[in-house]
Amino acid sequence: MTREGHVRFFSTTPIEDIEAENHQTTALLQADGAFAFRVPVLGFRFEKALMEEHFNENYLESHTYPNGSFEGTIDDFTDALKDGEFHDVLAKGVLTIHGVEQQREIPSTVQWNGTGWDVESVFTVAPADHNINIPRVVRNKIAPTIEVTVQANLIAR
Amino acid sequence: MMRKLNAFLVGCVLMASAFQHPAQSQSLLDGIEVAPLVITPVSATFKDTRIINAQSNETPGKNVLHFVIAHRFGQINEGAYALWGLDNASMRMAFDYGVTDRLAVGVARSTFQKTYEANIKWRALRQNSDNSMPVSVTLYSVAMANGLIWPDPTRENYFTSRLSYVNQAVIAKKWGSQLSLALIPSFIHRNLVESLSDAHDQWTLGAGGRYKVTSRASINAEYHYALAGLPTDHVNSLSLGMDIETGGHVFQLHVTNSQGMFERAFLTETGGRWRDGALYFGFNLSRVFDL
Repeated sequence: MTREGHVRFFSTTPIEDIEAENHQTTALLQADGAFAFRVPVLGFRFEKALMEEHFNENYLESHTYPNGSFEGTIDDFTDALKDGEFHDVLAKGVLTIHGVEQQREIPSTVQWNGTGWDVESVFTVAPADHNINIPRVVRNKIAPTIEVTVQANLIAR
Repeated sequence: MMRKLNAFLVGCVLMASAFQHPAQSQSLLDGIEVAPLVITPVSATFKDTRIINAQSNETPGKNVLHFVIAHRFGQINEGAYALWGLDNASMRMAFDYGVTDRLAVGVARSTFQKTYEANIKWRALRQNSDNSMPVSVTLYSVAMANGLIWPDPTRENYFTSRLSYVNQAVIAKKWGSQLSLALIPSFIHRNLVESLSDAHDQWTLGAGGRYKVTSRASINAEYHYALAGLPTDHVNSLSLGMDIETGGHVFQLHVTNSQGMFERAFLTETGGRWRDGALYFGFNLSRVFDL
């Protein structure tokens, strides 16, 4: 597990790029392939202070929904993967953002580093899928699908 | 033998707890509930750097230029002939710049008494998400220069006579996401007063707050009570308004009995009485630019 997992998201439009980073993700992966990621929404850091305020106040409503999470299982997760190579796996589970659950299958890579698993994944999230309403006046500044990168170095407990 | 038995018992307990654990919890995350809390400064206690007339605890972020254009129209009780005051507007233009996330400097000009302002605002303390710091405290100082021609040019007039100062503390607290309140003690100093009996130094205690009705709109109120140095017929400033936020703009619409939009004016020179309808409709419109 780790408590310093890294989540980055990136929204790009012709008008504006928005990027935020979070290094406070808690992640857990069990030997049977069951996993859980929890991301404190208040932990995202933006380039501009006002973006961070709007993100928490208007879009993610972090006061009501303090965490995002992804929980599920990796099928066919066995010790045979512990060969130090990168392995593509499919993480199936429930992605919860803004209190709205979505069933997702997210392609990821895992690599055994000798003491734990290094996990990486890039996927997209559509704010509309999680009831995040973006008003018309700022719709050209926020992408309809946002790229999310997750990177965690899990240490065996 | 005894030692072996002990080791066996400890082993049983450990195994039992290990097997019990997944069965007990609905989510794997329940097992790691001990993850450290993220402690961050509380953001957006108020939507803008002002509650209505008075300062909030907020400052523009680092390298952010905050431009405010504000109007107070004429008195509403002027009636239909003056379109309830809309014929007469008094204006204030202000530029505030965030030197750091906690320090801002600004300049402004009001048509009211042709006044220039220079101000500095510092977030001394910030409320924390875990309430290890329960309040935010922001200090504000403004120097104001009256730009009117001298009423008596034959007298010897000094530039320093045009100056007045206000020093203020904004002690603010946000409860949940909707309610924020602030206490605002102010000290006002004038270099020149109208008559010998007037005090150079005055004190007021203000209170302001906002309640968010949607994620982008709030109802605001603000009141300043004269503590010391103000004449007995002084009227305390009372304002009601709302904030509407649209991306990089904040619109603040309000009704107030103060026409002046800088600190000395609304704290000590408020003339209108609410019961007479001697009120001013007005707005502050702010826009941020990232430099």
